[in-house]
Amino acid sequence: MSFKARNCQLLPTRAEIVVVGAGVIGCAIARELTRYTPDVLVLDKENDVACGASKANNAEIHSGIGEDPGTLKQKLNVRGNRMYDEFVRGLGVEFKRQGLLIVITPRSAPPELLERMNEEDRRRFFTEVIPRGIVNFGKKAGITGLRILSREEVFEREPNVTREALAGVFDPNYGMVCPYKLTIALVEHAVLNGAKVFLNTEVNGFRVEGGRVRAVITNRGEVETSLVINAAGVFADEVADMAGAGGFRIHPRKGATLLFDRDVTSEYVRSSVAEFRLPGMKKTKSKGGGAMPTVEGNLQLGPTAVEVEDKYDTSISAEEIEEIFERFHYLLPDFPRDAVISAFSGIRAPTYEEDFVIEASDKVFGFVNVAGIQSPGLASAPAIVEMVMGIIKDLGWELEERKDFIPERPAPIKFSELSNEERHRLIMEDPRWGHVVCRCETVTEMEVVNAIHSIIPATDMDGVKRRTRTGMGRCQGSFCGHRVAAILARELGIPVTEVTKSGEGSPIYVGRTKDLLLQNDLRGERLVDEG
Amino acid sequence: MTKILRPDAVVIGAGPAGLGAALAAREAGLEEIFLLERDFELGGILPQCIHDGFGSIVFDQVLTGPEYAQRFIDKVERSGIEVFLDTMVLELRSDRSLVAVNSRDGVLRMEPGAVVLAMGCRERTRHQVLIPGYRPAGVICAGAAQRYINIEGLMPGRRVVILGSGDIGLIMARRFTLEGAEVEGVYEIMDHPGGLTRNLVQCLHDFDIPLHLSHTVTFIHGRKRVEAVTVAKVNENRKPIPGTERLVECDTLVLSVGLIPENELSKKAGVVLHPATGGPVVDELMETSVEGIFACGNVVCVFDLVDYVTFTAEVAGRGAAEFVQGRRRWRGEVPVRPGRNVRFVVPQRLRCLDREVELYFRVQRPERSVRVRVLVDGRVVHSRKARMVRPPEMVRASIPAGALNEGVREVVVEVTPDEKEA
Amino acid sequence: MRRKHDFICINCPLSCTVELFEENGEVQEVRGNECAVGEKYAVTEYLDPRRRVTTTVRVRGGVLPVVPVATSAPVPKRLVREVVRALAGVELQAPVEMGQVVMPDILGTGVDVVTTRPLPAKRD
Ligand SMILES: Cc1cc2nc3c(=O)[nH]c(=O)nc-3n(C[C@H](O)[C@H](O)[C@H](O)COP(=O)(O)OP(=O)(O)OC[C@H]3O[C@@H](n4cnc5c(N)ncnc54)[C@H](O)[C@@H]3O)c2cc1C
Ligand SMILES: Cc1cc2nc3c(=O)[nH]c(=O)nc-3n(C[C@H](O)[C@H](O)[C@H](O)COP(=O)(O)OP(=O)(O)OC[C@H]3O[C@@H](n4cnc5c(N)ncnc54)[C@H](O)[C@@H]3O)c2cc1C
Ligand code: SF4
Repeated sequence: MSFKARNCQLLPTRAEIVVVGAGVIGCAIARELTRYTPDVLVLDKENDVACGASKANNAEIHSGIGEDPGTLKQKLNVRGNRMYDEFVRGLGVEFKRQGLLIVITPRSAPPELLERMNEEDRRRFFTEVIPRGIVNFGKKAGITGLRILSREEVFEREPNVTREALAGVFDPNYGMVCPYKLTIALVEHAVLNGAKVFLNTEVNGFRVEGGRVRAVITNRGEVETSLVINAAGVFADEVADMAGAGGFRIHPRKGATLLFDRDVTSEYVRSSVAEFRLPGMKKTKSKGGGAMPTVEGNLQLGPTAVEVEDKYDTSISAEEIEEIFERFHYLLPDFPRDAVISAFSGIRAPTYEEDFVIEASDKVFGFVNVAGIQSPGLASAPAIVEMVMGIIKDLGWELEERKDFIPERPAPIKFSELSNEERHRLIMEDPRWGHVVCRCETVTEMEVVNAIHSIIPATDMDGVKRRTRTGMGRCQGSFCGHRVAAILARELGIPVTEVTKSGEGSPIYVGRTKDLLLQNDLRGERLVDEG
Repeated sequence: MTKILRPDAVVIGAGPAGLGAALAAREAGLEEIFLLERDFELGGILPQCIHDGFGSIVFDQVLTGPEYAQRFIDKVERSGIEVFLDTMVLELRSDRSLVAVNSRDGVLRMEPGAVVLAMGCRERTRHQVLIPGYRPAGVICAGAAQRYINIEGLMPGRRVVILGSGDIGLIMARRFTLEGAEVEGVYEIMDHPGGLTRNLVQCLHDFDIPLHLSHTVTFIHGRKRVEAVTVAKVNENRKPIPGTERLVECDTLVLSVGLIPENELSKKAGVVLHPATGGPVVDELMETSVEGIFACGNVVCVFDLVDYVTFTAEVAGRGAAEFVQGRRRWRGEVPVRPGRNVRFVVPQRLRCLDREVELYFRVQRPERSVRVRVLVDGRVVHSRKARMVRPPEMVRASIPAGALNEGVREVVVEVTPDEKEA
Repeated sequence: MRRKHDFICINCPLSCTVELFEENGEVQEVRGNECAVGEKYAVTEYLDPRRRVTTTVRVRGGVLPVVPVATSAPVPKRLVREVVRALAGVELQAPVEMGQVVMPDILGTGVDVVTTRPLPAKRD
């Protein structure tokens, strides 16, 4: 189907269930729903899935050790972490459990407290009291497997950690995924099982009659439905208000992260690493962050936490960069500053209560809010899905498992991960496998073509990048940019000057050379220098 | 899979370095030479450098980049060197075995007698200089802009701000202007320009494009496409001075913030790189720390003149031939050290000690009325007056034949004030 | 009236700022140059500055959509932009030879514009 045709497809007039928001949460819920019914419609205002927080986060599957006891966040995080292996099964996405090293340093306790101790007490406080406290905290939350490490064991695990480290605790439960690849996989799995996804489709309102939701109103028409799942991320409060099903406010909080060249950092930290601070010492409400590897092996440092006004403010300030450098300069004294290849920032969606809001609206029947999903939303996703399914059941939906549910979603082939024999075989089948378009990440033309023709098609440079890693290497697209743009143009049947970085308003080129001169010519401007 | 190929030599990259090395190896008598290039044509970066200023030393003529490349391409086409285009080398090991891939042959495995690295360099990107702000379309490296305009025939922007006054940035300021775009200005964080005076005059002054020294871009605005940048003056520590910010509307930010030798393959092969050059440590045959792997051109260090690239290529090509023919003999190991006001010298060491050696070096700071001297164990073997030396301009010196032998402990290259004038 | 014009000499890394004094177009004095090259440079830059112009022109049916071109000799500096503009509407048909004349005697300067590389036709 051509690009244009795809964009002009008509929105269905009815759907049993409508999910608003194609982030990891909406897509995970949609996938789960298709186990019971194919009649699921996912709507997102952006031109691709995972364009909100789900593309710009730290990809960690926390264990729950960082959350406050008694919160829904902690409960769902602990459970979600345990469910993860099962959650990603059959999706063809990478999931690793790299663990978290909590490092205890002289900065882990406030000076006022330490002043009152003698040296021996202090030593015991850092090497015994705090570590045991962390382990016990975990136990109470249901987090098992935590191990106390001596100073030497800390360095053995992570040789690059500051020599000031006094002790540590290792949490083996921490994992990592690629969050946007996970989101894409989830929604593609849902589509394989009958769900429909409409992008560039913004929800502007709802039709509510007799206290029940009747329809979703979008920029592309109305869809009748009796069940709406509001997974609109940072906009979930506004979407809920449109139906009169709100009552919570989301205040956007930005987080910036620096990403390093994986060739330099793939061995730099093996697990996630964070510095311990006694409760009450943290300056912000969001998770403290740390140094973490991505599934691909890039080191990440961050995130920051800055309250912002604009829900689209994904900029990074000089202060944030400075702050990250300063913070990690202590924990990892010689981290490779020169090897930064990218920086990104995402918007968290906290409510003023700082907890998840997952409930059926008591004002509008058939409207379920899945809101306030800030960190650890990704880690909690499986448990959030479980909870939502429970809510739907409670609302009276009959959930009967389908016999024809397809359990697997085939993963796209990654050339760089194949053996030379397999590579050769593929190239002999189709020469496009032999054309490397991105040198840093070794991505071939065929992978780009596949991404453009995948279930949720990539329609711009960033879409191709999220699916194939083109332009994610150290040259950040200098080499492959025009190559990928040319393939996009060809496959979408559009002039290359219409190719965008991230949808409307972000063209890569402004025209052909000579166009400006010929235009100026028409306007009769004088271009001759006098002099 | 295809069978293993065993040519005499494989040259990786077909820019002026690779072309020159392959030709030199051929002239020195090697039979089977493979030239592997990932682009669809020969020439490396030169086909996009359509301006003139190439070849004044090698050809004693001022050529454009494509013209310079064509002279070598014509020779290669007549030479019997086997050219593999659209062919990307993916792996190289310390035993010189390598894996390359293309659409026609699939996966190619080779075990050549010698390897010449000629992969050139790549550009530093925005994040390597960490500019705060958004990540919209319209932020591009100068070399990429050059490729878009001169090769693809596409305009990356209409109103342009250029960060960095390196030569490529200056050349692109003129190029954008000639194509009808507006270049608002060139901003340079240092207090002196990065490029050659010739380019300052002919690319900026000729077109009244302002150059703002001690300035940088402190924020990129625009969520989808660049809408503006904030620029500010910087202090001696290159930190923006509060209160000096200015908003400049533009749709494109072009970065000309430096080049880095492209050494991913070299690293895989265990080739030792030099911290100051970013390229392999080489000897007077341009042989790297791995036996039989040679390197030349911008993969070794960023040369500002293509002529020097060609010279190093000839040395590497001949060196590879000597190695394959079993004629290459090491007589010792003499380090070449940077002395006063010298940042680095290529080659970094000498092992054959039997010939005249050309040395290429960069200075640490600008200096007037100097002498460039080469000392062998303290004895001056080369001394030349120079009116001026500047960090952006590579300087040449040489060690005459016969000045070296097994007993020599070190060679020092230094820049000293010229006493006679002082 | 005597007037001063500044030129930066581009002939060596010293980059002298050369001051040229002129009255009614007649050069009277040159100073600031460290050597004779600088004087000659400033006088030429004042009396008859010339540049070799390089740009591209469109090509139909080639492996690339544009081919680089250059003036075969320097042209008066004030014509640089006009040369490029005069070439903007030109479209060649591939294959293109190296050194092929794209526009003879451009703007009456007596200088030809020629291609600086060959460009083969696209096969499909
Ligand atoms: C910097 C940062 C780091 C983080 N690190 C981690 C981590 O390491 N581990 C972890 O577990 N969590 C982490 N998180 C949290 C995690 O990213 C989120 O919890 C998760 O991505 C939320 O997913 P979501 O689907 O709810 O929201 P989003 O991904 O934001 O999806 C919401 C979607 O709704 C769409 N939408 C909104 N309004 C409308 C409308 N009116 N009509 C149609 N569509 C609409 C949006 O376009 C968007 O695609 C981090 C978050 C940030 C910001
Ligand atoms: C943007 C730019 C503008 C310049 N402008 C000027 C100028 O105006 N005047 C001047 O004198 N000099 C200029 N230079 C410098 C001069 O052109 C270079 O010094 C010269 O081209 C370097 O030659 P090279 O062969 O080392 O590298 P390149 O010309 O870069 O060639 C390297 C080749 O290796 C290939 N390659 C790399 N990796 C692989 C792989 N894994 N497998 C296969 N092939 C590979 C590349 O595709 C490329 O073709 C410029 C350089 C750049 C980057
Ligand atoms: S005048 Fe002479 S010394 Fe001065 S820059 Fe020109 S050539 Fe160099």
